Amino acid sequence: MAKVTYITKDGGRTEVDNAEGNLMEIALENAVDGIDGSCGGVCSCQTCHLYIPEEWIGKTGKAGDDEEAVLSSNEFYTSRSRLGCQIQMSEKLDGLVVEVAPSY
Amino acid sequence: MDSLQDPFAEARKKCPVLVTEFQGETIPMVLRLPELREAAKDWQTFSSNAPRRVPIPSEETVRSVRQYPIETNPPEHTEYRRIVEPFFRRPLLPEVKAKIDALLEHLLDVAAGQGTIEVIQGFAIPLQSYALTYLMDVDEKEAETWISWGTHVFKQGDGESKGAFMEQYCKEMFEAAEKAPGNDFFSALNQVDYQGRKLTMEEKLGYANLAFAGGRDTIIQTVASIIAWFGEHPEGLEFLRKNPGSINTACEEFFRLFIPLTHIGRVCPATTDFHGFQVPPEGRVSLGWFAANRDPDVFENPNEAKLDRKPNPHVAFGFGIHNCLGAHHARAIMRGLVTKLAQKFHSVRILSQEPHVEVEKDYRRSSGYQKLEVSFVPLQV
Repeated sequence: MAKVTYITKDGGRTEVDNAEGNLMEIALENAVDGIDGSCGGVCSCQTCHLYIPEEWIGKTGKAGDDEEAVLSSNEFYTSRSRLGCQIQMSEKLDGLVVEVAPSY
Repeated sequence: MDSLQDPFAEARKKCPVLVTEFQGETIPMVLRLPELREAAKDWQTFSSNAPRRVPIPSEETVRSVRQYPIETNPPEHTEYRRIVEPFFRRPLLPEVKAKIDALLEHLLDVAAGQGTIEVIQGFAIPLQSYALTYLMDVDEKEAETWISWGTHVFKQGDGESKGAFMEQYCKEMFEAAEKAPGNDFFSALNQVDYQGRKLTMEEKLGYANLAFAGGRDTIIQTVASIIAWFGEHPEGLEFLRKNPGSINTACEEFFRLFIPLTHIGRVCPATTDFHGFQVPPEGRVSLGWFAANRDPDVFENPNEAKLDRKPNPHVAFGFGIHNCLGAHHARAIMRGLVTKLAQKFHSVRILSQEPHVEVEKDYRRSSGYQKLEVSFVPLQV
C-alpha cells in the first residue's frame, strides 16, 4: 500500500502508511498541522495547500483550471502548489513527500 | 420570488459587469467568476482601505467605527487579521463543534415540540447568537442580549439604526474585561500587542463590530434558506440520510446558492478602467459574489441545487486576502444543521413565508426571509 509523508511548517514530519483517499482527507485523519480542509474538498477554499516536489509533479499532475483559479490568489502560491483535495492517493504515488504550504 | 432565480442572467451574458446605481452612486458590479477573482486578488487597485465604505450601500450612517481587519489593506491587514484568527478558528475544535451540535439538537427538539415555529425569530437568531458565544468564548448568557438585537444589528425593518447601541455594549464589554480578564474575545483584544502597542478602543470596537455584524444576517438567512429549501425538497433529506458523506458538498452548494450577501465593495484610489467603465478616484466597484456563484460558464445548471456538486469553486466566503473569517463557524453550523435535519425529520412543512427581497435599481433578488413559519415532520420510528 502507498505511503505519503507530510512536512509541516515547523519542520515536523507525519508519515502515513496505507494511505487512502485524497491528500486533504489523509492529512485530516492524521491531524497534520496546517491542513484544515475547510470546504470539504470541493475546490472552493485554499486550506489544503501543499507544495509538491518537482520530481513528483509528473505523477501527481498539475492543477486543473478550477484548482489553479482558486490557488492563484494565495500569496504563498508557487509553481509547485496543489490543493491536497485534488490529489487522489494511489500506488503510483507511493513514497510521495509533500510540504504543507505556509499560511497566515 | 424564488431564491433560486438569477436576476443577473441576462446582464451577465452581455458584459462581465453591470453598471448600476446604489443610493445615487454609479457602481459597476462584476458578475462573472473569473473577472471577479481577478479584481478580488488585486487589492492595490481595488482597495479595502476605506472605513465604512466597503459594504454597499455604505455604512457611514449606521456605525461610527471602521471594521477590522476587513477595512484595511496589507501589510497592516495581515497583522490585524492574525490577531483574531485564533478565535475564528475555534469552531474547528472538537469541543466547540460539540457545543454547536448540542445547541442544534436542543433548538430542533424545542422547535419540533412546539409544533410550529417561526424560523427567523424562534430558531435562527438564537442559534446564531448562542453559537457566537462559543466562538468568542464568552458566557452563554450574553446571547440573550444579542438575540434582542434582531436579524440585523444595524437596522431591522423599521430602518432604525441600532449600531450605536451595539457599540456601547461592546465598549462596556471591553471595560469589564479590563477589570476582570479571562480567555474571551474582549480580554484577548485588550491584551494583544499590535506593532509594539496595545490596540486602541476604536480598533477593538472595529473588531467587535465585524464579529457581531459580519456573521449575523448572513448566518440567519442561510439557515432559513436551507430550511425553506428542504420544505420544497423533502427528497433532499432522504438523499442525505442515504448519503451522509454528501453533507459537506450539500452545504457548500447551499452556501453557493443562498449567499445572503449579494456583493461587497472596493474603492479605487486612482482612475481605473473596469471592463470599459471608468471608475473615478475614490469611486467604488462591486464584487458580485451572488452573481459569480451563478456563472453558467463555471457551474453547470447554476440555479439548481446539486447536493453532491464537486468541484464547486464558489465564492460564498469571498476570495483572496479578505476571505471570510467566519467561514469555519458558518460551516460548522450548517453542517450540524443539515446533518440533524436529515437524521430527525422526514420533511419540513412550510406554513407561511415572507421572503426578504432586495430591491435595487436594476435588479430584485430574494435573499432570505422576513418570516418563515414551518413545522418539522419527524421520521416515523
